[in-house]
Amino acid sequence: MIVAEQKPVATLKEMLRGKRKILAVGCGTCVAVCFAGGKREVGILAAALRMATELDGARVEIDEAIVQRQCEYEYIDPLKDKLNQYDAVLSLGCGVGVQTLADRFQTTRILPALNTKFMGGPTEQGVWEERCQGCGNCLLDVTGGICPITRCSKQLMNGPCGGTDTGGRCEVDKEIPCAWYMIWERMEKLGLQDELMEVRPPKDWSTSRDGGVRKIVRMDLRKPDPKDFQE
Amino acid sequence: MNTETVYEPNIVALCCMHCAYAAADLAGSSRFGYPPSLKIVAMPCTGRTDMGHLLKTFEDGADGILVAG
Repeated sequence: MIVAEQKPVATLKEMLRGKRKILAVGCGTCVAVCFAGGKREVGILAAALRMATELDGARVEIDEAIVQRQCEYEYIDPLKDKLNQYDAVLSLGCGVGVQTLADRFQTTRILPALNTKFMGGPTEQGVWEERCQGCGNCLLDVTGGICPITRCSKQLMNGPCGGTDTGGRCEVDKEIPCAWYMIWERMEKLGLQDELMEVRPPKDWSTSRDGGVRKIVRMDLRKPDPKDFQE
Repeated sequence: MNTETVYEPNIVALCCMHCAYAAADLAGSSRFGYPPSLKIVAMPCTGRTDMGHLLKTFEDGADGILVAG
């Protein structure tokens, strides 16, 4: 999931300065399950902002809404009819949700209430950790299901490095478990340690952020272009 | 004439239906009085109390919230 966290109320109050009526829009997918922007969080944040702005003597009226997926036009389109009554929309979606709203409703000011942090998952109650950097060329098949690109501080393709202590902790921060230490232990459990003796070449980053914004086009899913059927 | 007004806070009591709410009920049937500024709300369980309940209660004018369960 995409993991995000709310911006501080003070920051949001500053962002809302001068606005009289806004719509807070949550998202029912990733940010709902990481407790940053679901229906519950929209209610709490809206109440906190209404009270905070009232204490400052400039109460902002905040209505609440939730869409199941803020990153798809079909889900956000029903908001269109009511947007003209608001000075701005405060999105509790991830960065994708904010941009989808801004793209669809170009004459409405869309403001971000969250800081989008990473792709990851919960490791225990109340704790989320990064697991994927979307490098575009997954190598989890050769690393026992542990990603060194995300979890090794140096993004090494061969490890561990000399900075790992005997307890399998990273020199960058003793709180960080060494990814390569974990990979060796995992491969041992799988009986595949021999595979790690092969030296991996430097990673090909051309599938990552190398060429700017990435895009996937699936011809099998696209609507046919009528021009293709003209003779 | 005494013009001094006494501050009487609005308190909302969120009471567990299985214990504290029953205690409030018993207090009532025992003819114990309590001020009208106290509002009792039955909760299915006070474990259900959420930050949203607390904030909206304050937003709607409560000065204090008693969570009893």
